[in-house]
Amino acid sequence: MNYNFQFGVVWENFPALLEGAWLTFQLGCFAFAGGALIGLVGAALKTYAPWPIRFLVDCYVVFITNTPALIQIYFLYFGLPEVGVRWSNEACLLIGLTLNAGAYLTLILRAGFLSVRITEIEAGQTLGMSLLQQVRYIIVPHIAKSIYPALANFFIVVLVMGTSVGALIGVDELTGQAINLSSVNYRWLEYFTVVAGMYVVLTFIASIGLALLGRWAFRVKARIF
Amino acid sequence: MAHLAVSDVRASYGALEVLKGISFSIEKGEIAALVGPSGSGKSTVLRALMGLTPITGGEVDIAGETMNYSSAREVRAARDRMAIVFQQYNLFQNMTVMQNLTLAPLKIKNWDKAEVASEARRLLSLVGLADKADAFSDQLSGGQQQRVALARALALKPQILLLDEVTSALDPELVNEVLDAIRKLADEGMTMVIVSHEMAFVREVADKVAFMDAGQIVETGTPAELFDAPKTDRARDFFSKILRH
Repeated sequence: MNYNFQFGVVWENFPALLEGAWLTFQLGCFAFAGGALIGLVGAALKTYAPWPIRFLVDCYVVFITNTPALIQIYFLYFGLPEVGVRWSNEACLLIGLTLNAGAYLTLILRAGFLSVRITEIEAGQTLGMSLLQQVRYIIVPHIAKSIYPALANFFIVVLVMGTSVGALIGVDELTGQAINLSSVNYRWLEYFTVVAGMYVVLTFIASIGLALLGRWAFRVKARIF
Repeated sequence: MAHLAVSDVRASYGALEVLKGISFSIEKGEIAALVGPSGSGKSTVLRALMGLTPITGGEVDIAGETMNYSSAREVRAARDRMAIVFQQYNLFQNMTVMQNLTLAPLKIKNWDKAEVASEARRLLSLVGLADKADAFSDQLSGGQQQRVALARALALKPQILLLDEVTSALDPELVNEVLDAIRKLADEGMTMVIVSHEMAFVREVADKVAFMDAGQIVETGTPAELFDAPKTDRARDFFSKILRH
């Protein structure tokens, strides 16, 4: 093997890669936050709503979790314009990722709802707590703590795997940016080596942030490695 | 006037009637024990008193107020006057020992912060856990958790304390530390209704005992009367089995 590595051109364009990484980070955070909101509503409906509504939630979850995220985003990007709905590529990616995350987070949060112990709620009731006080002091902290590890893992999945789909519909997040730049001067190996490293650093930063948040808010002894 | 008077209380789970007209009463400072086989309805009596299991008939007189738990206000009034300790402790796992004790007095009763804190410390030393104020429940043994639950129930200054098989989930060597804490409460004159399988303990602290079977009180009396000379066949059969060893 006598490949001549030339990283110089990658460093010249490093600010553009950083921009891509920043966009990836933002997309990951927004999609996760939006998905968490959908998941919270979905899980609450799955747990407490009458059956026709539970059935609709099931349809959403089954449809989304059993089809590739790429197909869902292509549906928004290439499919909807056929019926007159046009969104920007960033909007298609963000909406697609959010809907996708929402289905998985419905499942994760539902497990949290089911794990709340009726006995702790009864203890709260006998101490005179109202329903709202039970939610605030018992149910929410309990759900947050019990599903924290699954939530943190899923955030990384959205951040790394989810957002990179954007490259295929022309969103200049980290992967898209790397494809754009390397197709100009054909330094694929160098670009993707650096980008892989950047993903690891991004994930690492996110993991530390999540571990600190978990320790501070939910007393979870989260491991970073 | 009795401090707690239960008259003809009935409760059902679906079609199954689990309490078929329970009546008993205790005076202030007395300790009553409910004993009997599993499934006889002992725990359900305590749950009904706390408004956790709805009653379908009868009424209860607690410290001068008669109620049948038909309104949220009556359930609140019952929970104001009584506190319960469960078999499985049921501590709030996301809170420290101190937070478990002070949550209800501070957030539900809005009592004075300094007074609540000093009362909580007094109760923790009463149950022998003054050094565990900042521990979380998963750092405590079962016996310690149950003593925290006892202190938490007392923090609301109940007039009557209900104990639902509070030692049944504990390792044998941890039972005594919980019983010691209850003995101290008895010495302080706390009115209590105890559901227990610790017959020696019941004999020691209880003023009166009711033997329950199949949702009914079959026989009542002092511990000595019931344990040593039961009048009904069902009670004689039960005590001959459990007091032999």
